[in-house]
Amino acid sequence: MIKVEHLTKDYQRVKRREGFLGGLRTLFSAEYETTRAVDDISFHIKEGELVGYIGPNGAGKSTSIKMLCGILVPTSGQIEVNGLIPHKNRMENARQIGAVFGQKTQLWWDVPVIESLRLFRDIYKVPETQFKHNLNLFNDLLDLHEFQNTPVRQLSLGQRMRADMAAALLHNPRLLFLDEPMIGVDVVAKDRLRTFIQQINREQKVTILLTTHDMGDIEKVCSRIMIIDHGRIVYDGNIDQMRAKYGTQRTLVVEFEEPIADFDAPHATLVKSEGRKKWFAFNRFETSPSTLITYIGAHFPILDLAVEEPEIEAIVRTIYQGQPGDGRQSGS
Amino acid sequence: MKVFWAFARQSFHSMAIYRFDFWLRVSTILLLMYSVRWVWITLYTQRPGAFGVNLEQMVTYGVLSMAIENLFYSFGVQYYMSQQVRSGAIDVDLLKPLDFHFHMLARNTGQMLFRLFIMILPAMLCGYFFFGLQPPATLLAGFQFAFALLLGYLVGFHLEFLLGSIALVTLEIHSIDWAFNALLRFFSGQFVPLWLFPGVLGTLAALLPFRSLFAIPLSIYIGALSGDAIIPAISLQLFWLAALALISRWLWGRVQARIVSQGG
Repeated sequence: MIKVEHLTKDYQRVKRREGFLGGLRTLFSAEYETTRAVDDISFHIKEGELVGYIGPNGAGKSTSIKMLCGILVPTSGQIEVNGLIPHKNRMENARQIGAVFGQKTQLWWDVPVIESLRLFRDIYKVPETQFKHNLNLFNDLLDLHEFQNTPVRQLSLGQRMRADMAAALLHNPRLLFLDEPMIGVDVVAKDRLRTFIQQINREQKVTILLTTHDMGDIEKVCSRIMIIDHGRIVYDGNIDQMRAKYGTQRTLVVEFEEPIADFDAPHATLVKSEGRKKWFAFNRFETSPSTLITYIGAHFPILDLAVEEPEIEAIVRTIYQGQPGDGRQSGS
Repeated sequence: MKVFWAFARQSFHSMAIYRFDFWLRVSTILLLMYSVRWVWITLYTQRPGAFGVNLEQMVTYGVLSMAIENLFYSFGVQYYMSQQVRSGAIDVDLLKPLDFHFHMLARNTGQMLFRLFIMILPAMLCGYFFFGLQPPATLLAGFQFAFALLLGYLVGFHLEFLLGSIALVTLEIHSIDWAFNALLRFFSGQFVPLWLFPGVLGTLAALLPFRSLFAIPLSIYIGALSGDAIIPAISLQLFWLAALALISRWLWGRVQARIVSQGG
């Protein structure tokens, strides 16, 4: 469905000089500096996949999505989206994809949602039967009817995202790009959007690429995750594999029957102590929970215990931090 | 064509929201029609026969030029372009399966059609009943007027589209737009018919594209331009339409290339 090979994108920006005279000189002779936003990335996405695309701010996520949409031309490398080269066939490509940019709405600000959707129908030449069918579907899944006569500027953020999703899917695209669709959306609305994303992926067989900062989205929704940092893909695979590879750190939480002075256990470090509870961090390749519990239980009376898995957020943080700064190109 | 109507429907909804703006525009038109009529009546009392056409024709010219003002002046496409590029919302426009130039034409024309029915035709009726606006000189002149007006609208749109593209290169819209409006109001013959312009100024006005908007359609309407004399006038409109369409599309192509290589 999507084939990306050695994709690179450089931005050229005018180097600003300081001061008034500097500004004046820029008018006549500009110096450019190059920043590399996307650095030689390659990946394939098969039909029906739901891929999470994550990375810190400025890592190159939006840049790569824009190239897939055909509204940004790559510096080098190949892109193919369902057989088309997006930046060479922008309009044709636009018909087969849908996109939601969390930061910008596609809808017309002043008019009721339903009017915006009708204009989408006319622009994408959606047949009337398909339009009605999709509206009913979105009514069921997104409760569109609650706010379809409200102008977009009066919608809450969660409602606006729902409306934007509906607009992006009206023409039955095979492929959906979601660029931070959950940004600023509250917990309940988020949950609903997640369910919706899964539903259209499963039932309508829409291939989805989802950009997000919310690890909850990734854990609950995606089957595969790609992590990009400094313009490079640093991880591509499923979440369980990622846990197995990077999530070696576990925490054992022990509650004792009485307050006890701090102590260290073999191959484990005491990371926190609070009342009668203590937290021990250990690497699961160096020791096992049972060994630890036996050791501690032999010395002190234990009331309760729990082993905590690392949060996915912590794993991702390790992966980001594991990337040396020289991954970023200074440009040439 | 469906897309044009769809955009017209959109502006109906927007306009229903900006009611204040609507009434302000309507009262401005009425005030202008009233004033322009009295200016010409006063001038004709002072110096009858100095203006080349009779009083009825001149009042018709003046009142009609005010009535059709909102065909050309709107929340122009140039402001839309500048706003979209600055805010980065141009991405969303390019995401649609529409040629941007066509998209803008459809959007603008949709809004124009809406204003035609809701403002311009009612203003013409008011002009007819209260301000001495005469029907067209002949039925044929009426059709020719409508055709010339359509061409005038298209020339006007392309001037604005060109202006918008230039503004994206210079990153400045207000001063350029101000200068453009001044030129347009003067050289289009909206306030003073071009046949009253002396020598060089008259030649200049005859060559510039601006008279396509007001002077040509209005002269046809009052019968000052008729018969074979219409042909060069319409040809001039067609020439400018073709030239401006080519130039503005070319310039926009350059701007768009920069947007898609630099991300706005």
